[in-house]
Amino acid sequence: MELQERLDELESAGIGAAAISYDSPAVLADFAQRRGIDFPLLSDEESEVIARYGILNTVAEEALEDGGDDPDLVAEVARYVSVFGAGQLFVGTPYPGTFIVDGEGRVTSRYFEEFYRERNTTTNVLLKEGIGVSPIEAIEGSSPQLDFTAWPSNTLVGMGTRFSIVIEVRPGENMHVYAPGAEGNGYRVIGLELAPSDLYRLEPVEFPESEIYYFAPLDEYVPVFQEPFTILQEVVMAATPETEEALGDMETITLSGFLNYQACDDAICYLPQSVPISFVLDTEGPDRLRALR
Amino acid sequence: MKRHTLPVAATFSALLAFAGGAVGQDAAGTAERQPIVVADLGPQVGELVPDFEMVDQFGNTHDLESIMGPNGAMLLFHRSADW
Repeated sequence: MELQERLDELESAGIGAAAISYDSPAVLADFAQRRGIDFPLLSDEESEVIARYGILNTVAEEALEDGGDDPDLVAEVARYVSVFGAGQLFVGTPYPGTFIVDGEGRVTSRYFEEFYRERNTTTNVLLKEGIGVSPIEAIEGSSPQLDFTAWPSNTLVGMGTRFSIVIEVRPGENMHVYAPGAEGNGYRVIGLELAPSDLYRLEPVEFPESEIYYFAPLDEYVPVFQEPFTILQEVVMAATPETEEALGDMETITLSGFLNYQACDDAICYLPQSVPISFVLDTEGPDRLRALR
Repeated sequence: MKRHTLPVAATFSALLAFAGGAVGQDAAGTAERQPIVVADLGPQVGELVPDFEMVDQFGNTHDLESIMGPNGAMLLFHRSADW
């Protein structure tokens, strides 16, 4: 379980963690031993806590009772239970997801999906929470205007994996890098341009807040980044039967593209840059496993 | 008179929410399913999560407080650890 590898970072951030499922303590003990998991895996055998949290998925149970007569229900099964149909296995499961709560137990953010096959990776959640995580494999880049480190939040991805490409940028001394909004002034805004593919979809890039820079020679105000900053390009692996088959035949997937930016100092404006970058990620096999039982 | 209109509006939307429950009935009496929106289920941002008492893989009992770090907690709900 990915969370195990991020426990130190969570602890440094003062965040406790637990995973909840309907598995018996015996099943959890076996799983934890096999995978070396020492954070609490909590057993909610009767799905009582899951129900109290309001996230009990009753679609499988309804579909089993209905016997497949209701087409809306059949569609819901494919979306929220299994593309292979409902089964007793799914009765008592939650809509999977993560709550982040503050020290008082108040939700500060939540990560749930509208398609059961799509899941945020734990590292992606930590990144979105602004919890510092260290890269597994990173690409370093350097130019007279800036240095950058680019890395995938996860090096193993499968159907429906929601992860991020992280770009940490450190502008050089006295440099500013153009932020969203600066395109109106004719500058190239920093961004990651990944090649599109049927195997994944790209969410809009997430930028931190920029600052307004006054450029005296042109008497203009432009949004820029001057301090080190991080941008996140979220990627969601496709989860259709076609991509499932395609991914099943691949051991790795390559994401390639360009880091585009333009940087200037208070006197010289440098030309827009396009730095090629690519990442090779391992792919996970399809999750057929026990889905057919 | 704003103080009076607000509770009326709130009651009205509460009634609507009640009428639009998980399964509604159409004129013919057939059950009509309401769409599921997972984002609307369970505690929302700003709301308190329910406490709990559960046993972990080592046989230790936990509640929300024992899971919490000084700055909070991450609660992951999984379908199963086993499949």
